[in-house]
Amino acid sequence: MAVSWLSRLAARARVPVFPALGMHGDTILHRLALTPGIELVDSPRHASILLVAGGVPPDLHEALRRLHDQLPAPFATLWYRSSPLSELAGDLRVDDPEALPEALKRLHRELMSGRRDSSPRLLPDEPPNPWEGLGDDGHGGEGMMGGVPYGRPMAMNMHDDIRDGLTLDSLTVTLGPFLPVLPPGLGAKVTLQGDLVQSWVTQLAPYPIALENVFHEALQRPVPIAELELARARHHLQRLAFSLRLSGLEHLALVALRLSRGLNVESRVGRLHRRLTRCGFFRLTTAGRGRLEAGQARRVGGIAARAAGLEEDLRSRDAAYRRLGFTPVVQRGGDTNARWRQTLAEIDHSLQLAFRAEQEDLYSEMTEAVETPRGPWDDYRPEDASDILEDLLPGLEWDEALTTIASLDLAGVSEWPLEPLSETSLKDDEERQA
Amino acid sequence: MIVSELLLPVFVVLATLAVGAYLVGVIDGAIGAALGAPRGQSAWLAPLTQGAWLLTQQANTTEAPDWRAWRLAPALYLALAATGLAVVPWSPTLIPTDLTTSVVLWGSVEALATVVIFLHGWSANTLLALIGAYRYVALGLSYILISMFVLIGVALPAESLQFSQVVASQAEMWNVIRQPLGLPLFLIVGLGMTFWGPFNLADSRDLAGGTASAVSGPPRLVWNLARAAMLVAFSCVAASAFLGGWLGPWLPGPLWMVIKMLVVLAVLLLIGRLVPRVQPERCVTLMWVVLLPLSFIDLIWAGMEALL
Repeated sequence: MAVSWLSRLAARARVPVFPALGMHGDTILHRLALTPGIELVDSPRHASILLVAGGVPPDLHEALRRLHDQLPAPFATLWYRSSPLSELAGDLRVDDPEALPEALKRLHRELMSGRRDSSPRLLPDEPPNPWEGLGDDGHGGEGMMGGVPYGRPMAMNMHDDIRDGLTLDSLTVTLGPFLPVLPPGLGAKVTLQGDLVQSWVTQLAPYPIALENVFHEALQRPVPIAELELARARHHLQRLAFSLRLSGLEHLALVALRLSRGLNVESRVGRLHRRLTRCGFFRLTTAGRGRLEAGQARRVGGIAARAAGLEEDLRSRDAAYRRLGFTPVVQRGGDTNARWRQTLAEIDHSLQLAFRAEQEDLYSEMTEAVETPRGPWDDYRPEDASDILEDLLPGLEWDEALTTIASLDLAGVSEWPLEPLSETSLKDDEERQA
Repeated sequence: MIVSELLLPVFVVLATLAVGAYLVGVIDGAIGAALGAPRGQSAWLAPLTQGAWLLTQQANTTEAPDWRAWRLAPALYLALAATGLAVVPWSPTLIPTDLTTSVVLWGSVEALATVVIFLHGWSANTLLALIGAYRYVALGLSYILISMFVLIGVALPAESLQFSQVVASQAEMWNVIRQPLGLPLFLIVGLGMTFWGPFNLADSRDLAGGTASAVSGPPRLVWNLARAAMLVAFSCVAASAFLGGWLGPWLPGPLWMVIKMLVVLAVLLLIGRLVPRVQPERCVTLMWVVLLPLSFIDLIWAGMEALL
């Protein structure tokens, strides 16, 4: 009796969902973040549902199995626009974004009421490497030093400190590809001393990002500039929302997401910018770190380049943009702070351009190249630049390293455009549930 | 004798712990909804459903954790919160434990919190929890001196280290007016001690929950409960030290105390939602370079005022 009462209460909890992102899976998260009754959690230990969103490349299936087995029972897996692993072929798959929130809630209710069994474990519950069992303490080394118990090196004081002389034991770990605080798909081998990054080796490049179709069309034929600029502003607002959530500003992340969803030529970003300044976002969380050299900035392109003072923007070569009086906005500094100032300035600029372009019914005129939100796309699509992290991150603290990564759009651009979600129904969804 | 010296104090502490922790969930949820979080279930029900879900979830393990420390840390943090609540005076007579050195006891709770939080992160034997633990030690070492100076400041006019005397000494003027730097500094200490909002360096989102990132089920419920209870204990201490505790017209003393505690709590929770997390290095610099000298000034101010 008591248990069933507890289960009924638990079934009414907000559904804690851990997203494991596959290709193009992140777009659905913007919607789920605004859906009542769903909570996106950061650790698989805090979830009741594992949501695999988007296709996961086969070489990441083993990592996905390890992630799957980290969820505490009872839990279930839901596959959104993704094929279940062969062992989980009977799992629920949903392709319709409209149906996803309800499917997540139903799964949670079924788990709590006992109508659905917890997902089975896929891997044996044993260490991936054997216990060495050598040495005085069974750790494989001599004395209290050395050894690779369970195949991992002990935390050892082998490296000089690269900052302040306080030498802590170095710890080498593998991060990603499903860590939600990193770009989807990014995997790295990282050596840390305390919370200081000593070395960063990018092992898996982040998935290519899908841009809205209008950027692909702009390479085929003239497209309305208003549409192009609104799509650009939307992309940047969604990136900003991710970073705000990371900084603990959940409510402003939701403001940015709502703005991106209902974006039109009359939208303005000034109020959000003022709120960010007032709450100390620029001073407390992002100052002075992650500075790109000119060569690195040029390689990353787009906002990162302009935030470092490079006036490189393909829009200034388009006659229609020139008629609108377009000149690139740039910042000096090239650090995390400058990139967010640049991002907000560019969103504002894009909205103003969209407003004027719609009034004058202007179309782009240059079809051989387009300035995407990720950078210039001329003969080649913007390519992955995540290897610059190897030079950029050593010497930064964990928090600084993550805010730096969040401020950089490093993934390459996918050859496939983004599939549009129905925006009107998104709005209805939140209003109906409210 | 048994009722007044054993049962009543234990009941008061446990009731404050349970009701207070629940109210933290309710108020924080209400602030979140007012700031634009998607409105789901009512704020009154949300902490209960979340708690029920955690009770049904399995307590997981990690690879080779220090089991005893890992399971003990949430309980110890909860015990520290209860210890803090035990010295809070609700009225001149309703005080669970009226120690003559209750201010010192609260200071030791603040110091031991650092040990317990480090233990929670370290014993999980996982990376993100460990980073949270490291970070908290840097923060804990920074706020503790500020807290001591501010608390000595309120003990000076009372000429006592007893919270009930500190409250009584505010009959003419509350310490929040008498020592204007005290409460703002102490609120910052509170945010640090409970690693909440801008000073949540231990259990933050960039660490996927930090020291709690690898914990699930009932141990996580205890940890969440302990964090909420510590916020309540801190709010009670702040209300006693700076807002005149039970003092106030018309209403009974305990009710004044509850109102003042809720005001402090709401301010802490609001700051927690409105201010971004401060970068650890900036946070430590701020504490040592700006806030510690300010706490010296606060102490000198309090000393001069006591002499005059």
